Amino acid sequence: MKPDINIALMNAAQEIINRFSPLIEDEYEKSRLGSWGALILISAMRFNDAASALKKENIEIADWLTSNTKVGKEDLEKSVNLSTSEENIDRLDKQNQILRGLLNEEIERLEDVDDKSVLLDGYSLMRSMHQRRKVSDLIGLLQQSED
Amino acid sequence: MIKKLDSLFLSYYSNFSSSKYSLESFERIFGGASRETYKIKVTDNKGIEERLVLRLSQDSSLIETEQKTEYLAYSAFQNSRVPVPTLIDMEEDDSLLGAPFMLMKELEGEAASPFTPNVYAPHEDDLGNQFWSILGEIAKKEIDTEIFENFSKDLKEPHWKNELDKWVKVINEDSISIEPILEAGIRYLYRNPPNDLEKLSMVHGDYRSGNFLFLENKITGILDWEMAHLGNPLEDLGWALSPIWSWQDRDRPAYLIDRHEAIEIWKKVSNIEIDLKSLEWWELFAAVKGMAIWISAGNEFKSGKNIDPINLFSAWIPGDIHLEVILDILEGNI
Repeated sequence: MKPDINIALMNAAQEIINRFSPLIEDEYEKSRLGSWGALILISAMRFNDAASALKKENIEIADWLTSNTKVGKEDLEKSVNLSTSEENIDRLDKQNQILRGLLNEEIERLEDVDDKSVLLDGYSLMRSMHQRRKVSDLIGLLQQSED
Repeated sequence: MIKKLDSLFLSYYSNFSSSKYSLESFERIFGGASRETYKIKVTDNKGIEERLVLRLSQDSSLIETEQKTEYLAYSAFQNSRVPVPTLIDMEEDDSLLGAPFMLMKELEGEAASPFTPNVYAPHEDDLGNQFWSILGEIAKKEIDTEIFENFSKDLKEPHWKNELDKWVKVINEDSISIEPILEAGIRYLYRNPPNDLEKLSMVHGDYRSGNFLFLENKITGILDWEMAHLGNPLEDLGWALSPIWSWQDRDRPAYLIDRHEAIEIWKKVSNIEIDLKSLEWWELFAAVKGMAIWISAGNEFKSGKNIDPINLFSAWIPGDIHLEVILDILEGNI
């Protein structure tokens, strides 16, 4: 079996940070290369889960919309076609943008009618989406690359 | 680029000073994405050394501001209680160095990364007292009439809306995806406006950890005034207090002193009473404004206009943090 793409990226990042960046004397170029190393490392750590995380998010939004709003399952299937077996990132991302647009409209509607209970549930969904997607918890990697 | 720029600079500076100089060093500083910043060392024909800082507008920058804005803001605080570099020259034309620029004397001290915890240890108390006092000084400063008129020509009321509209426009122009948390934050700001203050202050626009120089326990300079404008001083306070600048120790804004203590110092020095609801509005505004900046950075990177890794970093890390800050405030207010 060939080494995975994320393993290749991780090794490239480590070489950049530990091997090549220290060789550069110009402080600006050195910092710039070190930052690239850290950003490639972050990319590598998220690479494997990118498609599955997007798919989970799409299902989560669709479930919330059909349970808490007037958006029906059939309408959603027509506009987003979630049941397709095609799972490449571009396709998932397109579905995701449609679902996010619908979620935004429904959150605005809940604000207008001041439905605090469902709104809180909507915030909880948005937090879950954010937790899965965020990379800010990897900030330590960037700090290490500065040292 | 640097080689060409350094010879252009030497020629310009020798003409400007009517003296012959030789260039000792010419180094770009990594960081700030709105201006290219260079540290320069020159010596004259008597061997006297000068240390300078050149701020050059970028073709593609996050925040498109005129060089004059920053120059006037620095001018407003020369020889005041707010330490700023001594100005030498400003040029809005790009014929001399290929882009508009501003030249200043270099101040002693170093700037820290705003994302590194404990970076000011063991001088957090001293630096914290100065950091919040200086912000109070900025808020209460009476601005020179000519500078005030320059800044007030595009000013509309209410001031909060003026600022919010400006950043929402950036978000609408540069967004590359739909972000429901941010949209909810923007709606909240428009629906729950703050009180405008009667007196306008000079607002630094990016007063935070990382934008000041320090030498051990002393703040030696407040930098990066390119987003300066007239407005509500709570805008600067809300931005400086934002948890993003002390994400790993949120009760100690800017990784300096305790939040409550910081606010008390600011109130005492500025002599301005704080309406807490308005301050919260400006703290939410800070996160939305931050998102506009990080979205703009992401757009620059994705479009290939500026692939500096600082732009990718901005879109990823600070963008994530400010979204979380917005959600925290929205949930806290429901």
